[in-house]
Amino acid sequence: MALTLQILLPFFGGFAALLAPRLAGLSERWTTIAVMALTLIVLLLAVVSGDDGRWLAFTRADWAPSFGIQVLLAMDGLSAALLAVSAGLGMICVFISWHVTHRSPLFHAAICWTVAASNGVFLSFDLLILAFFWELMIVPAFLLIALWGHGDREAAAIKFLVFNAVAGLGLLAAVFWMGATSDPITFDAFELARDERSHTAQVLLLLGFAVAFMVKLPVPPFHAWLPDAHTNAPTAGSILLAGLLLKTGAYGLFRFPPLLFPEGLVTLAPWGMALGAFGVVYGAVLACGQTDAKRLVAYTSVAHMSIVLMGVCGGVHFALMGAGVEMIAHAFSSSALFLLIGALQHRTGTRDLRELGGLQKTAPAFATSFALFFAAALAMPGTANFLGEALVITGMFQVNWVLAAIALVSLVVSVVYATRLIGGIVFGEPKPAVQGAHDLYRHELWPIAVLGLCTLLFGLFPQALISVLRPAVEAALTPLLFVQP
Amino acid sequence: MSGAEFLSLAPLALTGLAGIAGMALAPVAPARAVRGVTAALVALALVVALSRAGAEPAAPYALMVDDGLARFGTVLALLAGLGVLAFARAEGGAREAPALVAVATAGAVALAGAAHAAVLFLGLEITTLAMIALAVLPRTAEAAEAGYKLFLMAGAGAAALLLGLAFGFADSGSLMLDAWAGGGPVAAVGAALVLAGLAFKFSLVPFHMWTPDLFSGAPASAAAMAGAVSKVAVGIALLRLTEAAPGGAAWPLGLALAGGAAAILGNLVALRQESLSRMLGYSTIAHSGYLALVLAAGGGLAGEALLVYLAAYVPAILAALCVAAALGPVTRDDLRGLVHRQPLAGAAMALALLSMAGLPPTAGFIGKVYLFSALAAAEAWALLGVAALGAALAFVYYLRFAVAAFASAEGAPGPTLGWPARAALVVALAALVGPGLYPEPLIALASAAALP
Repeated sequence: MALTLQILLPFFGGFAALLAPRLAGLSERWTTIAVMALTLIVLLLAVVSGDDGRWLAFTRADWAPSFGIQVLLAMDGLSAALLAVSAGLGMICVFISWHVTHRSPLFHAAICWTVAASNGVFLSFDLLILAFFWELMIVPAFLLIALWGHGDREAAAIKFLVFNAVAGLGLLAAVFWMGATSDPITFDAFELARDERSHTAQVLLLLGFAVAFMVKLPVPPFHAWLPDAHTNAPTAGSILLAGLLLKTGAYGLFRFPPLLFPEGLVTLAPWGMALGAFGVVYGAVLACGQTDAKRLVAYTSVAHMSIVLMGVCGGVHFALMGAGVEMIAHAFSSSALFLLIGALQHRTGTRDLRELGGLQKTAPAFATSFALFFAAALAMPGTANFLGEALVITGMFQVNWVLAAIALVSLVVSVVYATRLIGGIVFGEPKPAVQGAHDLYRHELWPIAVLGLCTLLFGLFPQALISVLRPAVEAALTPLLFVQP
Repeated sequence: MSGAEFLSLAPLALTGLAGIAGMALAPVAPARAVRGVTAALVALALVVALSRAGAEPAAPYALMVDDGLARFGTVLALLAGLGVLAFARAEGGAREAPALVAVATAGAVALAGAAHAAVLFLGLEITTLAMIALAVLPRTAEAAEAGYKLFLMAGAGAAALLLGLAFGFADSGSLMLDAWAGGGPVAAVGAALVLAGLAFKFSLVPFHMWTPDLFSGAPASAAAMAGAVSKVAVGIALLRLTEAAPGGAAWPLGLALAGGAAAILGNLVALRQESLSRMLGYSTIAHSGYLALVLAAGGGLAGEALLVYLAAYVPAILAALCVAAALGPVTRDDLRGLVHRQPLAGAAMALALLSMAGLPPTAGFIGKVYLFSALAAAEAWALLGVAALGAALAFVYYLRFAVAAFASAEGAPGPTLGWPARAALVVALAALVGPGLYPEPLIALASAAALP
């Protein structure tokens, strides 16, 4: 029940936020906050009262029995961590969008629905339900970009939608193939994992899954939607994109290929690692060339999520653990950066690094926060991001040292873009645009504080996160067929 | 004739009666009364049809069958007909519109139960002729063009169908539709001609040319007859014929070719449409194409998939056309801010477009699930690829229109909807979201109905 509530609470909470102002005279902001808080509390209770085995909680119920579709939800540490991130970010989105007045009820409903759909992805093990939430997730995020974005928002939203919906068809086709060839018809991932499949079938099915996940991740060459979507999205939209939607792609890659297609994964993993290594370099190099702060952070996301892809395909304990940690860490750091850049844009009207500068003189708390999360994006020791990237690269050295070396070198490039960003915003004489920019308001300060605290806490005391993620990592270990002796 | 047999014919008789009553009242009674009486009789037919759920099939008579398929089709066609009545305005001052809708619906009901070539032909022609009359009611140049095009094409289609039926009769010596299995070259030619005739009505490529003109030029009620009522009936007739398998391999091959072309071409041309009604016109061609692909692939799931897909598509197209009827001829830009100005109409339009695009949480997603599953279960990978490509293209234009409805823009509030139209929209919304969130009842109904 607790797991079902993780989806139903935000889903119906969205309708509550939509209708509360009109029907009950309640504020849609506080309704959304209450919904997210309630979701968090239910999650906490479920984790505390969780079982000791492979799954903390497990639910199975019929949805459309004559077509073999069930509501099959399962939560382990990885899902729990991502669910906590999702409800937390949902709450943060409300606080940092206090200035949004244009059709605010629908805005907050869209936040709730995004959270509901991504929670569905993090929990579902019935593949058809997974595909359902996978497609559902696109709709509210699309609305957020198209209605409350900046610049050429409709074009960006359509681009986002077309990329993701078309890639989702790959997932759908693979799921239908598996469902239709099972007897009796079922979409239960655990059942389907037991079916015998030829090697070719595994590779083809995995490709269908991987296309959907890699577009959402995104790794080059599937990333073209991300910079536009981030640049034109409102701050809350950017946060949900970076903190949640990208994570659904990473989560999908982490969870399903090792479970369903272990042999196909062994064949394709080297290609995945190579693509990841390419993505790390590509994202980092392109980030160096950006003058728009949001585009810069968007390209760093490409680089960091490519590291996750490398880790997942690496298949060894270190790499997988690193990928898991990096997923969580990147959710904190990238959403904080988008939050800060959004706040800065709101004050100065620009995101152009050439027009910004000298923030540390006018707004010290603002500047300090920027510095902290640049350090995280740079994977400085002490931040959770460091832990994630270090683990992935350590693991990669066990598997393929060339790719590991490429990833390591590309981390040097991250110093370039991080200094560009930090130099462009924080240091120097205050530029005209920055003059009079108010320091962080209280409703911006505490989300930053929470995100910063999490980044440092998991960076300095990683054991808690590592033991939470362990069962999921152990389940995702692939036979080390491609480890070089 | 026993009571059960009488009851099994009652929906058809009542719908026909509704048409006659509407015609008789049209010259003497006010438009509201005409519409009310017609709608009440159609609703009565619907009640009778619903009350027969689970009843023993009435003893077979020569011309019509009374199986699950016929009942499902009857209920869906009557619901669609009622929906059309809710928003069919007395365009051009003509009070005959409700009567024509009822007559066309009666044709569709007959078609859903057709077991004999004569009923097939009569059902189709009754529907089409009423549709033509409905199309030209406004007496504008566009309406006349749309009606004339439909008239010419429908004539050609009817001729092909008749000739095909004659060939089939020559080959099998029977006019019963289920007596046509297999056969030699004569049967194959007959099957191809019958398929061409039905493809006209189902607007499959290359027999689709009348559809966009009907959607943009004729009143929305005529478009809804083509897009919803007659689509249900012809779809079920096609399914019945497919199960009878006339003409050997010619039938599925023809369906696959015409359906594949419709799925691709309809979507490609719809991409470039700025007018809402023309977009809907081209997209309905694509939806017919998907259904033809499912039928071409065959397999155990085909019938169920067709019924579920139809049940998901009908409320979507009706809701979209209902809003289009209220707004008049609109382009994508005119839709801007619709959710703002008219929340119900805007929400209905947006959800209808989402459903047609096959996105959750709408019935259209379930329809797409069935479409892909049926193709995958039949291992028709090429057809699955075509359907997936079509669905991918469709995302773009549906969502462009949907987002326009949400965009903020100043504009006149526009004409308000009457209460029947509002009620129809609410029902359509429920029919879109309900099965999208909990599909089991729909699936159970469809799988029970699809059993031979």
